[in-house]
Amino acid sequence: MSHPEKLQQKIDSYLMQLRRSLGELPPDEVSEILKEIRGHILERAEASGELTEERLVTILKALGSPEQIAPLYQADALVARARSSLSPRVVMRGIHRWSTLSIWGFVLFVLGIVGYATGAALTLSGVLKIFAPSQIGAWVGPHEILNIGVTSDPAARDVLGWWLVPVGLIGGPALIIATTRALRWTLRFARIRRPATA
Amino acid sequence: MAPNVASSPNENWETQIRKGWLDLVILASLWKEKLYGLDIIRRLEAHSELLLSEGTIYPILGRLKRDGFVDAEWVESDAGHPRKYYWLTPSGRCRTAAMAWHASTFLARIDSLIEPILAKEER
Repeated sequence: MSHPEKLQQKIDSYLMQLRRSLGELPPDEVSEILKEIRGHILERAEASGELTEERLVTILKALGSPEQIAPLYQADALVARARSSLSPRVVMRGIHRWSTLSIWGFVLFVLGIVGYATGAALTLSGVLKIFAPSQIGAWVGPHEILNIGVTSDPAARDVLGWWLVPVGLIGGPALIIATTRALRWTLRFARIRRPATA
Repeated sequence: MAPNVASSPNENWETQIRKGWLDLVILASLWKEKLYGLDIIRRLEAHSELLLSEGTIYPILGRLKRDGFVDAEWVESDAGHPRKYYWLTPSGRCRTAAMAWHASTFLARIDSLIEPILAKEER
């Protein structure tokens, strides 16, 4: 080998760049990927006889740049994890990834935000009703159809009264869970297009 | 010689075709034996011109594993670094057989459609 240290540095910097590009994946998955790619580089290098810098560049070029390869792992893995997760955060990350690739993903991303925001607001109203019963309610009035929370309309009437507490505390979380399940279900149909490198 | 269309505006179409076949080609290479990534790449090099960048194969193998079509295991090698060997699961075998059948039917139909074009070119 001509400049073993320099070549080793080149391999390391390639792998480090790949690690950075894989950032969003779980660490054990990342180290598994790096182990496999490192093996590939080393074995290609050994097969080439005396490894020159030129040879190494060819090997890395044939492999593809880290920026090219990393998204291929991510698009798939993020969505795969979201499909089997109950965490709104993980599911929304999968949906977000999908939304960058397809209009359906974007529509679902918006619906997801609406679903979670409504669920959270409902839960919050249920809690706040206990502490500020006269200000929080499910208001119906001449100027609003149904407004859950605070109202500025003096003519509005609270249609739920104390019922807002159980409705908010059960309905809010139920809506959040339902949103998660619905989004997860739609992800089964997500055909994630991989960036155009084959 | 086949005309070179790689540098023409058809490049994208070629890329799409390659991508579409990759899953089947990778699964098919595992039909008879366990292989590790570079083994599969070498096989593809020998049998087809499907692979543009070698790194593509690893994420695909990862996806096939998540989908339960292949399984994998690290094996220590004389080379000094371990190799990750892949093999078909029973459901992967079913899938590969189904894909192979579809592919051959599909190719036969395409063949009958483009045959007159190719025959004209040769003249």
